[in-house]
Order: sequence, then C-alpha cells, then structure tokens
Amino acid sequence: MSNASAPPQGIPLEISRSLLPASTDVLVIGGGIAGAAVAYYLAKAGVEVTLIERGELNREASGTNAGSFHFQLAIHQLSVKGPGADRERLLAEARLSLEAFALWQGLDSELDGSLDVHQTGGWMVAETAEQLQTLYDKHELEQLAGIETEVLTGTTLRARAPYLAEDLLGATYCPMEGHANPLVVAPLYALRAMQSGAQIRTHVEVLGIETSPIGRPERFTVKTDAGVIQAHRIVNCGGAWSGELAAMVGLRLPVRSEGLHVNVTEPRPRMFEPMIQHIGRRLTMKQTNNGNFIIGGGWPSSAAPRPQRYRTIWNSAAGNTAVALRVVPGLADVRVIRTWSGVIAFTDDLSPIVGESELVPGYHACLASTGFTFSPMLARQLAERMTASLDTPPFPKGYSLDRATPTART
Amino acid sequence: MVVGGGPAGISAALVASDAGVRVVLVDERPSLGGQIYKQPGPGFRVTDLAAMDKQFRFGRSLITSVDETDVKILLRTSVLSIEGHQVVLLTDGGRARTITAEKVILAPGAHDRPVVFPGWTLPGVLTAGGLQTMVKTQRVLPGNRILFAGSGPVALAFPAQLAGYGAGIVAALEAGPAPQPLDIVRILRAARGNTGLLRDALRYRTELWHARIPIRYRRMVVRAEGEGRVERIVHAAVDAQWRVLPGTEKVEFVDALCIGYGFVPSIELLRLVGCQFDFDEDLGGLVVRRDDWLRTSVPDVYAAGDGAGVEGSFVAIDEGQLAGLAAAMDLGAISAQTAANDCAPARTRLMRRRALTDATRRLYRVGPGVYELSTPDTVICRCESVRQAALARAIEATDDINVVKAETRAGMGLCQGKNCQRQVAAMISRRHGKPLADIPLASPRAPVRPISISALADDTITGRTLFLPETVPEDGTAQP
Repeated sequence: MSNASAPPQGIPLEISRSLLPASTDVLVIGGGIAGAAVAYYLAKAGVEVTLIERGELNREASGTNAGSFHFQLAIHQLSVKGPGADRERLLAEARLSLEAFALWQGLDSELDGSLDVHQTGGWMVAETAEQLQTLYDKHELEQLAGIETEVLTGTTLRARAPYLAEDLLGATYCPMEGHANPLVVAPLYALRAMQSGAQIRTHVEVLGIETSPIGRPERFTVKTDAGVIQAHRIVNCGGAWSGELAAMVGLRLPVRSEGLHVNVTEPRPRMFEPMIQHIGRRLTMKQTNNGNFIIGGGWPSSAAPRPQRYRTIWNSAAGNTAVALRVVPGLADVRVIRTWSGVIAFTDDLSPIVGESELVPGYHACLASTGFTFSPMLARQLAERMTASLDTPPFPKGYSLDRATPTART
Repeated sequence: MVVGGGPAGISAALVASDAGVRVVLVDERPSLGGQIYKQPGPGFRVTDLAAMDKQFRFGRSLITSVDETDVKILLRTSVLSIEGHQVVLLTDGGRARTITAEKVILAPGAHDRPVVFPGWTLPGVLTAGGLQTMVKTQRVLPGNRILFAGSGPVALAFPAQLAGYGAGIVAALEAGPAPQPLDIVRILRAARGNTGLLRDALRYRTELWHARIPIRYRRMVVRAEGEGRVERIVHAAVDAQWRVLPGTEKVEFVDALCIGYGFVPSIELLRLVGCQFDFDEDLGGLVVRRDDWLRTSVPDVYAAGDGAGVEGSFVAIDEGQLAGLAAAMDLGAISAQTAANDCAPARTRLMRRRALTDATRRLYRVGPGVYELSTPDTVICRCESVRQAALARAIEATDDINVVKAETRAGMGLCQGKNCQRQVAAMISRRHGKPLADIPLASPRAPVRPISISALADDTITGRTLFLPETVPEDGTAQP
C-alpha cells in the first residue's frame, strides 16, 4: 500500500529502529530541532555523527511550539524594572535574533524543502497607559539593535489593523516577525542529516555515561536501552531534559522545564496576517495557512510522568482565550477544537547553553530558551567550532556549559 | 454526576438518588433517552402512546421515573473536560462552568463504527445512528431505495424497523455468516433470561421476510458511486475475516446507503481522565477496564453502558444500576451489605445477557477486513481531506499515531479523529505488524467538544506565568 514513487517523507522505520552503531565520533543526544540541526551541519562537514532520541523525533518542545519568530522585545524578556534595565542583555538578544532570522530565510533552499517560513509581521498591543509607555521605551532599544518597529495609536492603528479591539491604546508593529511550521523543521533536518551520512536512531534512551581520560577515542562510554555506544565527543541536545544528561558527567546546567498549554481553533476565513502579542498580558496568536487560530502565550500545562503527555489545563484555555478575545473581538464565535501541551526548557538566566565544557572536555551542548528561533543558528555555529581550526572565535562566556557547576576552586 | 442520559445514565441516576445521593444527570441532547430511546424532536408531540413501538414506550417510562425524582437534569449540556473532581460543563448558548463532583459515573454511550470505503463521503451515505435519528426524531426518510449494509444485532433490527416506517429497502447485507444450526443451539442454550431478545430477533426476521426484503449474508459494501450523491453501490462477498473475495462484485442502484457495522464506545472522556483500557474488537475496540463494581482505574470514576463496551440497552440498564449502587456505597450513603443485596438481580441478569452475547459472538465477530476496503485515493480524514496514500507515506517513517497526525494533519480537524483514527491505527498495525490492540490512539485532549471562545474565555483567571519571577505581571503590580 505504500506509495514508493513519491520522495520519502521521513526516515524509514527500518533505518531509525536499526541496530545502534558500536562507536561514533560525535554522539548527538536528543532528536529535536537542536539535535537534528547539529547532526546535519556536522554530517555535511564530513564528521561521523550518530543521533539518538529516546522517543520520536520532534515530539517535545521542537514539535509542540507555535513556530513563531520573535524579534520585537516581548513580555518574557522584560523585568519589572522596565526595558531600561538589562539594556545590554536586551540589545544582545535583539542582535542575535536578526542573525537567526537571516539563517531562517535561507533554510528552505538549504534543506531543499518547504518549511512554510512566512514573514507576516507582528503586532504587540497595549491596553493601559503604562503598557503604552513600555512600547515607546522598548522601541528605542529596538532601533538601536536594528529591529524595525513602529508604535501606532488612534485612527492610524485602527486603519492598519481593523481586527484589533478599538479601545486598545496602541500597538507596535514589527514587519520582520513571522513563523515557520514546527512540525516539519526538525524532521527535515534529520532526514537531510541521514542523507549526508549521519546515523539516526529513535527509541534509544541514554541510561548512563562513563567518562575515560582525555585523549582516548572512547572518551565516553554511553549506556543506552539499546546497547552501548562509544563516542569521542557528545553534544547534549536534550532540551528540557538536558540537565539530566549533564548530571551524568557531573555538570549542572542552569536549565528548568515547564509545561506549556496551547489552544487551536477550527479553520475560519482569513481574519489577519500578522502575529499578535500583548506587551502586558500573556498572548501570542496567529492564524495559520489552513485558517486555524493558534492561541498561546506562556500559559502552563500540568506535568505528567513520562511517557504521558503533559495535561492541558482548563483554566489556561479559559484565561488565554480571554486575552485573545479582548484583543481581537471578532474571535467571539470561533470555536476552540483542541488544546495541546509542550514541554519547554528555560535557562535560568535566559542565555543559551552552547559550546564545549572546559570541566569535561569533549562534552558539548546546544540549548536555547527560545529554541525554535535560535537553534538552527546556534547549531551551525557549534558545528563550525567543532570542525574548525583553532582561530575560530569561541562562544561568549555567558553561554558556557560550566557556569552553573560548582567547582572545587570556587 | 452522571454523564449521559441514556439507559445506563438514567438507571444510575435513579438508583443513586433512591439511596439519598445528590445527583446531577447531564446529556448533550434536547431530551433524555440516549440513542436507543430517541424521543421525537422539538415541534413533534406523541398523540397516541399505545401506537408507538415497545422500545419507545419503555424508554418513556424510564424517563418519566427520573423526572419524578430530585435528580437535577441538565439537557443540551456537554461535558467538555474533567480535571480531578472538577467537571466542566457547557449548556447550548451558555458559558462554560465547573461543577465539583465527588463521584463521576460516565455513561457516554457509543457511536456508529466508522467504516471507510471509496465513496463513503458521498451525500446519501448515512450511518445507522444518523438514519435512526432522522427517522425517530424527525420522521424523515433519506430516500426511496435504501440499501442497508452492516452486521451485528442492528443488521436485523434496523431494516425491520425501517420497513415498519414504510421505507423502501432494496436489500440488507450482513457481513457475518447466516446462523447455522450450531449457532441456534448455542443461542437457545443462552435463552434463559433472554427470551425477550430472542423473540424480537425472530420478529425482525419475520418482518423482513414479509416485506420481501432480501438478507444477503457474508456480503459488504465495497464502493459507493454517483455524481454528487450516491446512485449505486457495489457489494461483494467476504470471507470469515471480512476480506473481499475477488470476482463476486454486484451493483445495486440506490438513492441512500445506510451503514451499520455496529457501534464503538465514545471514550473521549474516559481517555481524558486517564482510565486504563483493554481491547476487544467485538465490543467496539477500546473497552475501559473496570472492577466488579464498575469502578475504573481512576479513583471516583465509574463507567456503565455501551460507553464501556457495546452490549446493548438491557446490559446498560443493569450496569447503570450497579454503578449507581457502587457510587452510593462508596459515598457512604448505603452500607456494603445493602449494596450487595440490591445489586443481586442486576448481576444475575447481566450474567444471562453475557451468556447470550457469548453465544452470538461467532455471528457478530468484526473481521479485520473492515479496515481494508479503502484504496490509496480514498479520503480517510474527512475533516482535513487526507487520503490514504499520504497516510501510507507517513507510516513508512513511524508507528506512532501522533507523529502521523503531525505529518499529515489527519485527526486535527473538527471531529478530532473520531472518524479516521481507528482506520489510521489499522494502517499502522498492518504496515508494521503490530496488533491493533497495541497501537495507542492519539493523546486525548480537552475540550472533547468544540466550544466558542466567547463561551470559554474567562478574564478573571490570572495565575502563574511561566517566565522569570521578575517579569511584568498581568495586573501591573510588582511581584517578587
């Protein structure tokens, strides 16, 4: 019954469930967007790489987010002191997003596939005077960072966005914002990685890692539930669970995970193109190509033991849609047909964890809080450093894997 | 809280209320009675009760009984989610609200088994349940040349009932075998306590014979064809596994096709709360696991009736009584001794009914061929228009139905997989050689029914944010 003439959509099960290799140069642990991208860039550079994933590819954070590209500064980046504080951090983050987006724009052709990358623009709305002031304050920072934004109010705003509630005080428009389809990116990276020589294995869970002295090719002996694999180098792409994988070699990563709740509606005729967010309340909303509205913004879902999915929470659906309705009154009769949950990783200081550990040489990681937007870029940079000569600049110290591990010296 | 106002739910509510428990009985439809005791729709009135069929009258009496108790009956009300003891309800035209229930009896009933074949989406192709609703509540027939294709007890009863309403039935096709002498013997042995059912079965056969409606055994519809609606169907002989025997196709000209291959339990809520299941295709597939007091594996949740395995309305009534007694006992409203005494008649009847089901199993076994009628071009997911070929491609790379869903969108539409999911699971089972019982379905999610944003939204809810403790909170005040 299989349609053999069409190109394969994914890695055939016969391959992804085949025997684990006995050894590899680089072992990538984690089959989300970070791991798949690292495996791809390494394989393309001719490195022998094996990727292992304990479940299915792209089923956790990478496959359960809404695929948004955030450029203008948003609620989760701001502290209670306002955009003026943490100025340096915010500027750095803003510049990073510009770089990331440049990579995304070329990714369709790099991976020879359709990732549904759309630059739809994005609104960030303000309800109160205080919120409107925040829009103006962050606008200044955005200009400095090179992110194009404009703050609109009154009749100009209403004319540009008639779908927004009339009594909103103002909104920032950023033409650069957009989204891609999270359901296809990591699987396509993995497929191209395999086609470039990487070994991809699913349903392989790491149980423990033994470290041998530096210099030996079998630096790491990795015990899995599908056998033992020796690796010269490891890249921890475990996302929300990267902390557990790091503990296996004595590192503590400043990462925690949270359950995320997302709502999706029935399809409706096109109502708006841009992404819509709120500067003071939790809302990120978009309308997909199929016409469904995806409504999220940082509402929690409730943890459940593996392998169960986290449970979505009624109150999250009710609270989240209330913000959506406040901002776009036209949604009133649109029906929510399901909710889904994801688990996302946050680094404690919001900086990525990328590079090679100095405490455990050979052990690398690639993890970012806004993982969907940044992972392709960070993965490529990591692969470059892992294959390049000594004069490649290192990652910023703020990204260090070792920053949260107490050492005997300190 | 009793969810579902069919025979099981009404019985449970009656018994629990009798025991002094405060009961809320909830049903989505405008009237109680569930699928089997469908009452005439709004705008209709029964003028001569004696002229209505026996099933209707019995259902009416059950409904009258519960109307006379203190049970709070909420009609046109769906349960959208259950979280612990919080039950989220939505009444038509209202807003979502939550009721706290110490015990929940789920009696959600069953729905028509979706059977996928080329042309199944043509207008004029109806399910038995759908046709029954049209006829019972609206007194409308969908056509003049109706062909009935199905199996199981419905295959006998339904065409006979339709004939009674004056429908023009071309033929009744039964996928299973004609009853053999050995079957009759087995059935007669299980007759004790089941004579009513057996008499009915005999009566239906007689009605069909009188109406000159041919019954053809071991035949299934394999294709429906027509321009804009069904105009002809192709049926073929099948083997004991319901697999088509080549070269046996015949064409019939029809204007309506009624499909009745049994029912499958409506398990969304049971799955949502996390109950454990067993698999029995003859009872409709996933069957919730229960102890001898019908408690599920989730504390304070009970299940009764067709929603826990399709065994018909008489079993449903007795299970409802059992579940109602169990809840009352577990709440301390009645003693264990009282419960044990009161449940004895129901338990005896259940044993006898099950003896009959066992005896008829051979006749009503659902064959794996029921999943093998579709072709690469057949639309499997009706909501998202996903064809079998696209699903087959995705299934090359995974045996996980959630991944297939993510790849193809099958199951993401309005019906949330109710029509397509089992077919997709069967495809995975065949391609990867795993038993159907071992293919988990897609993750259960709230809301189990669509709800408009205006009915769902609640702007009084704030609560914790996922992000740094220092982030700007919703109400603008500083937080540590």
